[in-house]
Amino acid sequence: MKILIVEDEVLLAMELESEIEAAGHDIVGLAADSREAKDLIDSVRPDFAFVDIQLIDGPTGIEVGRHLSAKSIPYVFVSGNLKRIPEDFAGAVGAIEKPYTMNGLQNALSFIESFVAGKPDEKTPPPSLVMSPEVLAKIAA
Amino acid sequence: MDQENDFRDAQDAGDRLIAAHASEDPFAAAFKATRMPMIITDPRQYDNPIIFSNDAFTKLTGYSRDELIGRNCRLLQGAATDPEAIAKLRTAISEERDLSIDILNYRRDGSTFWNALFVSPVRDETGEVIYFFASQLDFTNIKSKEAELAAARHMAEQEVARRTVDLTAALTTKTALVHEVDHRVKNNLLTIASIVKLQARMTESDVVERTLMSVLNRVEALSTVQRKLLNDEDVGHFDVADFANDLATDVIGALKRTDIVLTTDLREVVVPATKASPLALIINELVGDAVRRGLRDGGGEIHLEVRRLNGHFLIRVVDTVTPVDVDREEAAFSQKMLEACLQQLRAKLERRVEGRLTEVSVTLLVKD
Repeated sequence: MKILIVEDEVLLAMELESEIEAAGHDIVGLAADSREAKDLIDSVRPDFAFVDIQLIDGPTGIEVGRHLSAKSIPYVFVSGNLKRIPEDFAGAVGAIEKPYTMNGLQNALSFIESFVAGKPDEKTPPPSLVMSPEVLAKIAA
Repeated sequence: MDQENDFRDAQDAGDRLIAAHASEDPFAAAFKATRMPMIITDPRQYDNPIIFSNDAFTKLTGYSRDELIGRNCRLLQGAATDPEAIAKLRTAISEERDLSIDILNYRRDGSTFWNALFVSPVRDETGEVIYFFASQLDFTNIKSKEAELAAARHMAEQEVARRTVDLTAALTTKTALVHEVDHRVKNNLLTIASIVKLQARMTESDVVERTLMSVLNRVEALSTVQRKLLNDEDVGHFDVADFANDLATDVIGALKRTDIVLTTDLREVVVPATKASPLALIINELVGDAVRRGLRDGGGEIHLEVRRLNGHFLIRVVDTVTPVDVDREEAAFSQKMLEACLQQLRAKLERRVEGRLTEVSVTLLVKD
């Protein structure tokens, strides 16, 4: 998958990048604020995105999420405070809570892969991945 | 002089009223002697003057009988008397109705009293109103106590409101501060993990990499504690079972083996935040130990239990693996971590090995 990372902390973005690459995906962009993020979404059109909520220009990750959702690009939030996520998850598939562990991230990644591919081989998402109510209902169905 | 004539007329009317009753008339005697201030007025004379008053009325108002006879009752009114009450009184008299009203009146010396006034018309056989009868009751004490109470209550309410505002503001600040600190701690823990991972990725030495990953593993256990520690309903508490479930699921899941069977018996055990880290590290070491002894290399079974047992708190890990050689340094380090945490919690550990099966039970006392 072509993946976009939206994260304002460079070190965290770098490590997330290497984890995702290790799982066999391509990082097509790193964005630290909402404008960069939206420009990248429009220009490279990623297959998937990881979006932090607190960015350089404020808690604008939600806005970035809605932009992705409008373009039907699946994504997850990556945030230290999941309570900031709106009830409808702004169209996100789910959320990974910081500080995540290496194992937690890898498990979340493999679930996301199969979910995006439309063939969830595992029915239960790992504890590290909090699914949106909508997706949860879809999995249960 | 008119005033003198008026007085005489009123006096005469009063005398006639008394004369109409025999001196031994119990009603007249009662009227004179009662402690209830009373007056009688004559509406058929100009300006409805007082024609009779009793001693109690003189005592209440300070006016002698001579000063009262021939005067209209409005002499009791003053600057602070409610005009609305005066209007009601006037209307009741002109409409010849009963009236009960609370009114502020003035004594002869200018002092005020609250008067619970009752006025009623007295009719003759033809139905004509020949007198007005008025009784007074000084309820200044009650009124002032009421006012005092109301004032005190008002002040108390104001004080409560003021303090509530202060407390709400303080609480908002505190909550914001707690969230900010929590956010920073979480971010720092992830940053620490990222630094360790970055170096592990860059090193060319297997030993360094293994060492860094070993450090990362413990840092991540603490990160998970921090992530699970704060929630709005129960700040500063930690559910050991919830943590154990996440840890075991994540560790086993990441091994990506289909030949590992994970079973659990996890009951909610909530402990104070101070015990969270050592407990988390203990579970992390026990599960990690099973992984290193064979689960990672050859699969097997692992069972994890967290529950209360006779006032104690039990953590039990049972694994069945095909044993592999364990890095001695790594095993010694894990053992040291475990011992430190056990000592911290004054917990006891029992280990039983039977063939491929290893059972470890950790028990500690928890307060309910």
